[in-house]
Amino acid sequence: MRSSRGTALTAAALCVAVALICFVSARSFLAMRLPDPVAPAQGFERYNLSHWFPALKGSPGDSDVYIQDSGVPGGTVFIMGGTHPNEPSGYMAAVVYLERAKVTKGRLIVMPFANATAMGHNSPQEASPQYFSLDVDGGTRWFRYGSRATNPVYQWPAPDIYIHAQSGQKLDGGSKSNLNRAYPGVPDDSLTQQVAYGIIQLLNKEKVDLAFDLHEASPEYPVVNAIVAHNRAMELAAMVSMELEMAGIPMRLEPSPVNFRGLSHREWGDHSDALAILMETGNPSQGRLRGKTDAALAVTGKDKAYLKAAALGRLFIPYEGDQTLDLRTARHVTSMKMFMDMLGDVKEGGDVEVEGIPSFDDMMERGIGAFLSPVEDDRFDGK
Amino acid sequence: MMTLIYRGIGLFVAAFVLRCMFREKSFWKQVTAAMVLIPLILRILLIK
Repeated sequence: MRSSRGTALTAAALCVAVALICFVSARSFLAMRLPDPVAPAQGFERYNLSHWFPALKGSPGDSDVYIQDSGVPGGTVFIMGGTHPNEPSGYMAAVVYLERAKVTKGRLIVMPFANATAMGHNSPQEASPQYFSLDVDGGTRWFRYGSRATNPVYQWPAPDIYIHAQSGQKLDGGSKSNLNRAYPGVPDDSLTQQVAYGIIQLLNKEKVDLAFDLHEASPEYPVVNAIVAHNRAMELAAMVSMELEMAGIPMRLEPSPVNFRGLSHREWGDHSDALAILMETGNPSQGRLRGKTDAALAVTGKDKAYLKAAALGRLFIPYEGDQTLDLRTARHVTSMKMFMDMLGDVKEGGDVEVEGIPSFDDMMERGIGAFLSPVEDDRFDGK
Repeated sequence: MMTLIYRGIGLFVAAFVLRCMFREKSFWKQVTAAMVLIPLILRILLIK
């Protein structure tokens, strides 16, 4: 077959096509860097992480932090989602607290999207959706589905080996962009290490009593539907785990490994007075066994391959065809509420009382969208 | 500094790909060059 002839004219036409494709792609990619709008409940005041670590001011890692102070003496609880933005129930649980909480004793600090730049891109070769939507009263809410790692546009290149500064622990180079390997952080290193350092400053300066880092894990990963607790938090976590078991929401309890460094449940507890808790729910959209990966999978967790894996006994969660975002978020929200209700029992003067948080059954019946407020958002309209 | 060097290399390669595209006599090879240009441009602009 004779090949078609190329001329300067066809090259120019292709240049126009390239410009057009670049324009459309760039719009799509850049839309992901716009923050997810939230509607904080009355009483929350907005800050940025640079309030506690000024070097972050104006940087893409200067994440939003919201504080609600009841004015009644009590403890301080810190809720953090978005360490890994491909684990949506973590940041959705933080958003539910941000938009619903009425603190009547103590203080509540919510940082819904901890690694802000990781929210703004997808991991390569994962076929992840860019965003998903939820129906709320009076409209649709869009939330980004990001990456596990800091955006390489802001932190590049990855080293061959990541050496954790404080311990000398060696990990793969990509882990340098993983916020949950960066604690307690380094003030003059890469963006991820600076964000981690800022979070430790926040925990210390605000005298946080109880701190949550909310995650998800693959259904085939052993630490899933689990609470990972620092040794100082084990007593409280054990009480909560038993209460959850009795409520029919089992969350297995895991001790924070002493020798695995850089993780929130280890370093927050070692470098601040906070009782450090990390929680994991089961997210089929990030698992290795998944099939078609799209926004529906992130929201419903329905996947034929996982159904088969469950039948073969390969999963660490009960899986009967789905694992909805409502269920995963409700697990986090309900677990945190139980922790707060019991905090005063283990920490004198540490009581924190929060009203307005939907119950597990309410979230399962009506969906988490029913508890979110409508917001103005035209980032993903028409897509 | 490293980012500037990286972008400079990207620009250098993109310029050569563009040059090849205009000198190429086969339309389909021109299309191939165009496909290479897209990610290069997005990288130079630090979009992706």
